[in-house]
Amino acid sequence: MSNIWKSVKLDFSLVKPYVKTICFTMVLPVIFAAINRSLLTGISFAMCFIAMTTGYTFSITEKNSMERLYGILPIRKSDMVIGRYIFIIIMGLTALIFSLIAHPVILTILGESIGIVDYISAAVIGIFLFALYTVFQLPGYYKLGSIKGRVFMYIPVAGFLITLLLITKSPVGESKLLFTIFNSPVLLMLLTIIFVIVMYIVSILVSIKILKNKEA
Amino acid sequence: MNDYLEVRNLSKSFDGFQLRDITFTLPKGYIMGLIGPNGSGKTTTIKLILNMLKRTGGEVKILGFDNITHEQEAKRNLGVVFDSNYFSDEWKISQVEKSVSAFYENWNTQKFSEALKRFHIQPSKKVKELSKGMQMKLMLACAFSYDAKLLILDEPTSGLDPVSRDELLNILSEYIEDGEHSVLFSTHITGDLERAADYITYISYGELFFSGGKDEFIDGFRIVKGGREELSADLGKKMLGIRNFSTGFEALVKTEDLKQFVHLNVEPATIDDIVVFTSKRGEQYE
Amino acid sequence: MKLIISNISGVPIYEQIKQQVKSAIMSGDLQADETLPSLRTLAKELKISVLTVTKAYTELEQEGFVKNVQGRGCFVLGRGSELLREQLICKIENSLSEAISAARVANLSTEELHHLLSILMEEKTDE
Repeated sequence: MSNIWKSVKLDFSLVKPYVKTICFTMVLPVIFAAINRSLLTGISFAMCFIAMTTGYTFSITEKNSMERLYGILPIRKSDMVIGRYIFIIIMGLTALIFSLIAHPVILTILGESIGIVDYISAAVIGIFLFALYTVFQLPGYYKLGSIKGRVFMYIPVAGFLITLLLITKSPVGESKLLFTIFNSPVLLMLLTIIFVIVMYIVSILVSIKILKNKEA
Repeated sequence: MNDYLEVRNLSKSFDGFQLRDITFTLPKGYIMGLIGPNGSGKTTTIKLILNMLKRTGGEVKILGFDNITHEQEAKRNLGVVFDSNYFSDEWKISQVEKSVSAFYENWNTQKFSEALKRFHIQPSKKVKELSKGMQMKLMLACAFSYDAKLLILDEPTSGLDPVSRDELLNILSEYIEDGEHSVLFSTHITGDLERAADYITYISYGELFFSGGKDEFIDGFRIVKGGREELSADLGKKMLGIRNFSTGFEALVKTEDLKQFVHLNVEPATIDDIVVFTSKRGEQYE
Repeated sequence: MKLIISNISGVPIYEQIKQQVKSAIMSGDLQADETLPSLRTLAKELKISVLTVTKAYTELEQEGFVKNVQGRGCFVLGRGSELLREQLICKIENSLSEAISAARVANLSTEELHHLLSILMEEKTDE
């Protein structure tokens, strides 16, 4: 078992007592999806809420000064950071998959129909939003800790509100490039995934640098 | 592999505090006490050894491995105990084992449960339900389970009653008995080291005051006592620290300077005496 | 073998160990070819540093009382009591020389010195 995977499991064992709480936070977006009759709304809320819980591993570590345990274990700092990112991504994907099942079910029950395009774009936007929130949050937590870095917990909220604004304004029609991209689901998906991967790689490298240069 | 810990010219600069050129070596099979007043840099030194802080200069080798370029290998044989618990307090003991053992190839479950039994730690408890002394022993139990060759303890006895402190020293003496394990014990409760330590490294306000054999350290100083009238400016220069009172004075001097003080009362110095008199607070006694 | 360490006697611990080992050899408590307790075990039991015991054992070996055999322990040498006797006789000679010098300064005659010696020896045997 590589050290990265061990680090993921360690993070999970930290968060285990709070799993129920996190699960409850996934219930509210279902309700929002129902109210707005929109899969996109529901997914956006869900990703916002799950991104707000990414600080748990940091705050739990700080509560017991567990960074000392991390300092003792025979594991490279880069492996610890990558492991944490993977843990966060797993959390996000789990929430996304749950929402992509639960929300359509509720919406279908309420009489809404969901096209395959809506479904795929909701999934892709969900991945993108989660990545966007977390690539800024994690370096922030590494740099400032979960208390001073509290503000980073609200990045998803700010980002979400901006997303809502953009959804209602829908500037897609104004740019020829954007028009082409948004009309081709395959292209959109590809670009999103590439962008997400690049964002995470950069974010991970930044976080590793921050951890290696820790001053106090 | 004869030297389990080698620290050379270790330095670190913070705002308002500097650790400068700390150098010492801990050979296999011995206990070294790391002493100095609070705030003098002991914990910083330990964090630098663990690479939890980025050093400004110097070199650290743990069992021959560089602590930065070979961080993983260096830490495989290292056990560390801090002055407070570093596990999640929500964890049950079984979870502690699960989480920690994954990182050590030679983790021995039997050794772990034997250590728990010996320390009277109930495996069904959660970490937060253990007393401070038990939490400290839990950290030790983990270190013993993967047979850590070098044990570093950072103020493990602060907050413990004398019985627990005595217990810990027994455990450590046993640990080095086979000659294949070493201990670095950082403390400001120097009484603990008075008898059991083989080596002393004394860091005073960021600088290395002494590193060498404990007997040599203690034997290098004496306490001299006398009446006010027996004090002179010349004698005062040779004193490393002095305490004046209405009925006389007592001072710390180097044994090599003893001939100038033969007319006074001479007593052996304890580690505490040496630290108190030589730390800057000691100077204020003048 | 009995070994009692005093924290307050002011005598260095390694010196105390040496003295007590030598007494044990002298009195026959420790016979030739017997092993002293293992260095590290003794350190652990007496709660003193390994280096201190090492110093005591090393000096005992240098003075010819024991022999350190790698991996097997520290053996008492047969000549132990002889060596000790030699050391003590040396000590007596030194003390007597000092006493004689002091007697000269105090203008004590040889007979008076002999007399003093007899009285003191009687007192000592009474103790």
